[in-house]
Amino acid sequence: MLGREPRRGAELDRAAARAEVEKLSREYGLAVDPDDVVETLPVGIAQRVELLRELAREPAVLILDEPTAVLAPAEIDALFATVRALALRGTAVLIITHKLQEVVAHTSRITVMRAGKVVARLETAQTNVDAIARAMVGGELPELAARMETTPHPALAVRGLGAGESSLAVRDASFEVRGGEIVGVAGVEGNGQSALADAIAGVISYRGTIALGGITLPAGEPARRIARGIRTIPQDRRREALVLPWSIVENAALGDQRSPSLRRGATVDRKAARELAKRIVEGFDVRTPSVDTSVSELSGGNQQKVVVGRALAHDPKFLLVYQPTRGIDVGAAALVQSRLIEARNAGVAVLLISFELDEVLALSDRVIVMYRGAIVGTFERGSIDRARIGSLMAGAGLQTGPVVESA
Amino acid sequence: MIRGLWIGLGLAVVAAAAMLLAGANPLLGFWALFRGALGGERQISETLVQTTSLLFPSLAVAFAFRAGLFNIGAEGQLVIGGLAAGVIGARLDTSGLISIPILLVAGAAGGAVWGSIAGILRARFGGNEVIATLMLNIIAALLANYLVVGPLHSPGAAGAETAELPHSSWLPTLLPDTRLTVALLIALALAFVLRWVFDRTVFGYELRAAGDAPEAARRAGIDLAKTAFVAMALSGAMAGLGGATIVTGVLHRFNVSLSPGYGFIAIAVALVGDLDPLKIIIASFAFGILQSGALTMQALAHVPKDVVSFVEGLAIVALAARRFVAGRKQMTAVAQE
Repeated sequence: MLGREPRRGAELDRAAARAEVEKLSREYGLAVDPDDVVETLPVGIAQRVELLRELAREPAVLILDEPTAVLAPAEIDALFATVRALALRGTAVLIITHKLQEVVAHTSRITVMRAGKVVARLETAQTNVDAIARAMVGGELPELAARMETTPHPALAVRGLGAGESSLAVRDASFEVRGGEIVGVAGVEGNGQSALADAIAGVISYRGTIALGGITLPAGEPARRIARGIRTIPQDRRREALVLPWSIVENAALGDQRSPSLRRGATVDRKAARELAKRIVEGFDVRTPSVDTSVSELSGGNQQKVVVGRALAHDPKFLLVYQPTRGIDVGAAALVQSRLIEARNAGVAVLLISFELDEVLALSDRVIVMYRGAIVGTFERGSIDRARIGSLMAGAGLQTGPVVESA
Repeated sequence: MIRGLWIGLGLAVVAAAAMLLAGANPLLGFWALFRGALGGERQISETLVQTTSLLFPSLAVAFAFRAGLFNIGAEGQLVIGGLAAGVIGARLDTSGLISIPILLVAGAAGGAVWGSIAGILRARFGGNEVIATLMLNIIAALLANYLVVGPLHSPGAAGAETAELPHSSWLPTLLPDTRLTVALLIALALAFVLRWVFDRTVFGYELRAAGDAPEAARRAGIDLAKTAFVAMALSGAMAGLGGATIVTGVLHRFNVSLSPGYGFIAIAVALVGDLDPLKIIIASFAFGILQSGALTMQALAHVPKDVVSFVEGLAIVALAARRFVAGRKQMTAVAQE
């Protein structure tokens, strides 16, 4: 209600405010609880609140920057229905997004930008996803790396895992991620994925056990996990993965600062850190003037390449990946995805948590579906049923119990 | 450091305005200030004494700050360090080769204990170190006063102080007939060591990571609670060592008013020096000039020496506020990603 608070005299009319939020929420199909404190909400829900606030003002011009990055498929449909209705009523809508399907499905005209310059202006009716993608990368999109035949071996085993708080908790989750396979977690944001990832990373307390190679990991010790070969690509790369003011060299060593390969006694082996940074920059095509550049000056995609490159640099046994391509350009996203597949081919056990179903389906050997903190379905690659997974993500599995489909 | 010069210039303008308000001639005031601080060998050595006394707590503040901890308790840690050195020193009559190292270590240990209290509160219970260290300053002053007047009262001591240390425990002077001692060399060496720790060691790397990006540091296996504890203890040790050098090198006894607020001025010094130990040496010298020239300024130009305290206070407020705003902006920027 910020900016247009309903009043009763000088007082804030809380009842009216709540009623209006509820009405808007119904009208636009974006579910929010009026009494939640925004700070405590997952980013997806917080964004719904933001959207509702802007929609309520019936603006003349509406600019949406990556509006669907963290929304569920049904929410995305509802959002675009709303936006279209607004456009019909005369609102000019500008959508900034990296999701090409949305661009093609919902816009009238398209402007493609690359490296800060406009490189193409297209009429939506006369173009397609491929043409836009080519304009974006300035050539052909790189193919995803090929999936090789692997012989999966036991790696990570999660048994009866419970962690996190109330509606965002993960509850009684059991699954395995074997070396040489990618297990994808499909689900709408806010269904326990954060708690699952944080428990595996060792940064929150949990019930149940997490074991790597048959050895149960003690809780709350990220350092020991790193030493055992567990690497993570966290949700929020700017806050959880990188020290923004630091150079690529200094960031390259983070997490492995105590590893013998990166130190000489009590001092940092700066030469080794520099070599590592160079290897990451070259191997992952990080666009940067130098390895001494501060990571805060890199684009989101290049920051993410540094994070992924670092995670893969020390032959991990298990890799936890959370929204690896969120908010980065298609070229960088394709590279990151290819590197995940290559890691899998090389025998790494990969757990991929993503809110983009396409990404999960494209990369995973097995898909587990999470809803309200529980695993409600498991699908092997050969038996993946997109519609079925979509409905499980929306809560259809609650009555029937977990669904297991194998090839 | 360029920014430090601008800040210095700004403060000079404010100081000039304050002198005008106090009914004095600013040009005469500055002339007297610099004459008092740099006008001769005796003045310069006294300025270096002040520089030394500022450098220890300033390095302490910077060290904690690099680890993300706002230690505003350097004053209390310095007092406790001085107390430890004074109380033990008054009872220890042996060769200086033995007693001086003991007293310096005792001072550092006293400061470390005082700093660790806030460190433990932060590490174990997530307590805010700003409030804890602020309170501990007051407790330190009262505790010191109580101990030297009461239970640890030295026979023959007048007022709230210990008896004089035996000559053998006095720090050797660098120049005859001055109060300038080897403490200056210890402080300078400490600055260089800290710079090396920050730049080269794994410990320094982890400390800076914890300060610059705590969430990333935690996920990189760095124990934030342990880091906070160690950083506060070492920070306290540096301030306490400073207190011990004042006792063994300048006053030759502990006195409850051994510090005119070095631990607070240190906050401004550390921030002017960009938290870089080597720049902090220069910043300490600049503030040392203010400290040592103030009395001359009062005597010759009739500018109240409180103008110096006023300017220093302003520097603390302005720089600390700036730091907080910058911190908030950074957090907001991260939240918006």
